[in-house]
This record gives sequence, structure tokens and C-alpha cells, in this order.
Amino acid sequence: MGPPAFLQAIENTGFSTWLRESESPFAFYFILLFHTFGLALLVGANVVVDLRLLGVARAIPLAPLKQFFRIMWIGFAMNAITGVLLVIAYPTKSLTNRNFYFKLTVIALAVSVMHKLKTRVFGDASLSEAEMTARGAALAKWSLFLWFGAIAAGRLLAYTYKYLTYPS
Amino acid sequence: MNFAHLHLMLNHFPIIGTIVGLGLFLVSLAGGRAEDLRRASLIVFVAMALIALPTFFSGTGAQGAIKKLPGVSESLIERHQGAAMLALLFMEITGAFSLIELWKSQGAVRSRGWILSFVLLFSLVTVGLMARVGTTGGDIRHPEIGAAQDAGTEDSAIGKIVSRFEPSPDKFAELMTASKWWWAFMMDLHFVGLVLVIGTIGILDLRILGFAKQIPIAPLHKLLPWAIAGFGLNLVTGVLAFTGMGAYYTYDWAFWFKILAILLLGLNVAAFYLTGAFSSVVGLGPGEDAPPFAKFVAASSLFLWFAVITLGRYIQSFSDTIVVHK
Repeated sequence: MGPPAFLQAIENTGFSTWLRESESPFAFYFILLFHTFGLALLVGANVVVDLRLLGVARAIPLAPLKQFFRIMWIGFAMNAITGVLLVIAYPTKSLTNRNFYFKLTVIALAVSVMHKLKTRVFGDASLSEAEMTARGAALAKWSLFLWFGAIAAGRLLAYTYKYLTYPS
Repeated sequence: MNFAHLHLMLNHFPIIGTIVGLGLFLVSLAGGRAEDLRRASLIVFVAMALIALPTFFSGTGAQGAIKKLPGVSESLIERHQGAAMLALLFMEITGAFSLIELWKSQGAVRSRGWILSFVLLFSLVTVGLMARVGTTGGDIRHPEIGAAQDAGTEDSAIGKIVSRFEPSPDKFAELMTASKWWWAFMMDLHFVGLVLVIGTIGILDLRILGFAKQIPIAPLHKLLPWAIAGFGLNLVTGVLAFTGMGAYYTYDWAFWFKILAILLLGLNVAAFYLTGAFSSVVGLGPGEDAPPFAKFVAASSLFLWFAVITLGRYIQSFSDTIVVHK
């Protein structure tokens, strides 16, 4: 029994085919590029906030770092949209790869940690920096660990797939 | 202009530039206007470490251009390539220590002697190894100096010792590409480095441009060692990837423009610190605006880093775009 037929149905659509096979620089590689940009924004901003909560560059005031959550959400939105497009381009490759579901799980966990950081640590303007650090240090460690896990899982997708396209 | 031409042009920088850098460094130890000279020597080392990269990379193309010509020995090319790999290692380490020392000297941090002694040590070894690279390179195609035809018999005494440490390019390439998990791991680390660079330098650049003005700039500058670490990680994984698949990257326009973007970033960093842009912003407190030139440097820094990401991503789609006519 092969992969579910709906995967082939998606692959056969004009849009999916164009994304996958077009020579245009605005097709697959463009979407993959913006997926990388989103990653850079999302994890880049996250890493700086996490490092600060863990005591690096202690002279940086914590409260203004709240504004970087906006950048993180922009990065996340970019990756959600480009991610969906990438799955549309290669539905069989992604959806039959166990690693892909692992990646999505890790991302879901990382985003929930991000949300907790935003609400519990940066959400209360009356907290002192010491209180913020106390609340945020453990979350920051998990955040770093989970985002690097997501990057690793994402990178491995290129090396762990079973089918590139629906087997004929 | 072909790859052989490019390689012969560029090689002068890491071979001779490092001697100049070492000379300045040694003179700075003698006294007088020591600080300025020492800083100049460190800047030279960083610049040579950067230029050594396209020099090294163009070697593969140079090899492609001449290997079929009569009288060109494959084994001499390999000896030169192995020597180059070893010299590149020490060159980049020298550049890394120099960069760290330069970063430390910008703040009020007293430079600890151990970094400078490492710079001295590694630059001495680098100059020696660069001489070896130059000699073995000349042996390939300078019949007028009466060079060896076969690498095995004609190595000097020192050459024989050094050659024990020089990797075999073919074996190294095989090692890099033997396991797809190793390749995946290297590429994964490449993304980790990317994130460290964009996160730390991005925040500094954005603040200079006026975002999140409540943050004073000096503390953001303290994040730079993470950016240096990230860049270092990517330099290592990048060079290793190239040694694994040299021809794949050599004949790819996106790869060369990416290297150009990195060199331009070197100029950007130099502009930031040497023109006074850095001193004009480092003291800025919450709410204070940066001067226009500093903003320009910050904007071009962001632009160039995203260009590096873009070009890197497009390497795969631009493979075999450089066509060499025989």
C-alpha cells in the first residue's frame, strides 16, 4: 500500500507543478529563501532574548526587548505561509516523512514557550528585572533547545525523505 | 579572465599580506606608537584571512583550467592543494584571534596578553605555511625555476616534515561527502551560525536604525562575540563543504557573489569602526538617535547579510552556471 492518493492529487494541480518545476527564480527557491528569512528573524530574535534572560550582556535592559516579539511573530508568519507553499510543492515528500511531523511538533512546543515568555515574563510591566529573569531563565533554556531542534529537523528533511514525488 | 588568472591575482594577498601584517605586529612590540601599529597589523590579518577565502576557492577553478595542459603534474597540484588547506587553517585562526582582540580593544576592556601572544604564534606559523603554499604552487607551472616533475622525490627537508601535516585533498573530499548525515550536520551548523549572526548583528543594526530606541547601544555591542562565533562556525562549515564538493561551488555564480558579499561585509565592518561611526553611536542612551552615516552603515550591513543568505540559498539552483570554454 503506497502513500495516500490525495497527495498525488495535490501534486498534479497546476500550482503545485509550477512551484516544483518552474525555472523561474520566483518559484520553489524563492519560497525556500523566504522560509530561511523567516527562520533568521524568528530564531535570531528569540536567541538574543533567550541569551539575555540567561545572563549574557546583562547591561541590556530587559523590558524594551518586548518589541522583538513583533519581529518573531513576523518571522513565524513568513514561515507558516512559506511552509504551507513548500508542502503544496512537495506534498508526498513532506507528508510521508516522519521527520516532518517531528519538526512540526518541536515548532509547536517552541511557539508555546515563546508565548509563555511574552505573557509571563514580558507581559507584566510591574515586574523588576530580577523577577523577569527568575521567571524567564528556564523558559529561555527550553526556547534555545527547541528552536535549534526545529532547525535541525528542518535541515534533515532534505536528507530523510522517502519519496521526492508521488511514486508512479 | 579565467579561474587561473583570478587565482594567480589573489594569491599575492594571503602570501605577502601576512608578511606585512607580521612585520607591523613585530614593530609594534618594539614600542613607540604601539597601539595604532598593533591595531593596523590586526586589521591586516583579518583582511588577509578574508581574502584567503576566494584565493583558496579559486584554486579548484585554476586546477580545472590547467590540468590538461602538457607538463602539468596532478601530484604537484595535489601537494599544493594540501599545503593550501593547512595554511588556510592557520590563516583563519590568526584572523579569528585578531578579530577578537580588535573587538576587545574597542571597549574599555584591557586586552589580555594571551590573545595577542596567540596572534603572534599563529601568524608566524601562517607566514611559514604561506611560503610553502607559494613554493608548491610555483612548482606546478614555472619551468623557469627548474621545478620538480614529481612531488615525491623533490621535497626539501622542511617540506617533508610539513607535508606530514598536510591533508590529502582527495581523501579529505571523500571524508566530507562519505556520509549524508555528516553533510546534513554541517549544513545544520551552518544555519545555527546564520541565526547567531542575524540575531546579534541584526539587533544592533536595527537599534542604530532607530528601532527599540529604549535600548542603549553599548550593551548591544557586547553581543558581538556571539556573532563572531556564528560567523566562525559558518566559515568552518563552509570551507569544509567546499573541500568536499569544490567543482559544484566553483562553477556557480551564486557562490561567488556570496563570497563577494562577505568581502563587502568586511569592508562594511572596517567602515563602521575606522570612520568613527562606531564612536558616534556607542555612547547613545535610551531614546537617542544615531547620526545618518551610522544608519547607512547599519542598513548596508543588514542588506548584505540578507544578500549572503539569499545567494547561499540560490547556490543549489545556480549550479553549473559558470561555463568554461575549452
